Amino acid sequence: MTYSDIALYAVLFAVVTDLYFIRVQIITRGIFWLSYGLIFPFQLLTNRWLTSNHIVIYSSEQIIGVRVAGAPVEDLLFGFSMILLTLSFWEFYRARDKEFSDR
Amino acid sequence: MAQLHYLFVLMFIAFCAVAVTLAFRIRIKRFWRNFLLADGSILVNYLIWDYWAIKKENWSFDSEQILGFYLFDIVPIEEVLFFIIVPLMTVIVYVTLIKILKYLKEKR
Repeated sequence: MTYSDIALYAVLFAVVTDLYFIRVQIITRGIFWLSYGLIFPFQLLTNRWLTSNHIVIYSSEQIIGVRVAGAPVEDLLFGFSMILLTLSFWEFYRARDKEFSDR
Repeated sequence: MAQLHYLFVLMFIAFCAVAVTLAFRIRIKRFWRNFLLADGSILVNYLIWDYWAIKKENWSFDSEQILGFYLFDIVPIEEVLFFIIVPLMTVIVYVTLIKILKYLKEKR
């Protein structure tokens, strides 16, 4: 498996977890996309810093070769999966916590 | 100083998180409990992926620009912090946007 494969699996895993496993379905809400849209440019900034200074070095054999802000395009998929899973689990635990304290 | 290069970006994100929290007076009941549960749920996942990718040499780190502490011998400590600080910033952006939208709705 290359980084391209694992990045795609990460997105798939995040979407399936959100929609069917923990069923928060945050991906269907506008507030999720608004948050993602705001974080996205910061991810580009971070990627630019990490790659232009050669802090992180990507192996060219493991990626399809398209780069955005210095980092492989796969990194954007990986980042998307992390933001989706973070917010999905945040809502999951918060909802359960509220139920608990309401009782 | 070069050793702090990776850490700088984490400090920048953490700084933004604190600034946003103070500026918008974000106070969430039991924030840390729920954040730690949420981040704990994904942290292991991403560390395994990261470990695997470093092992396979998908990516590597310039040893001159990181602190030099490793988890499982190959995962830089900065990566662990990254998987905590970035989700923290993500949640803060999310709850802040909710607060702003709520405010705008009530104002109308």
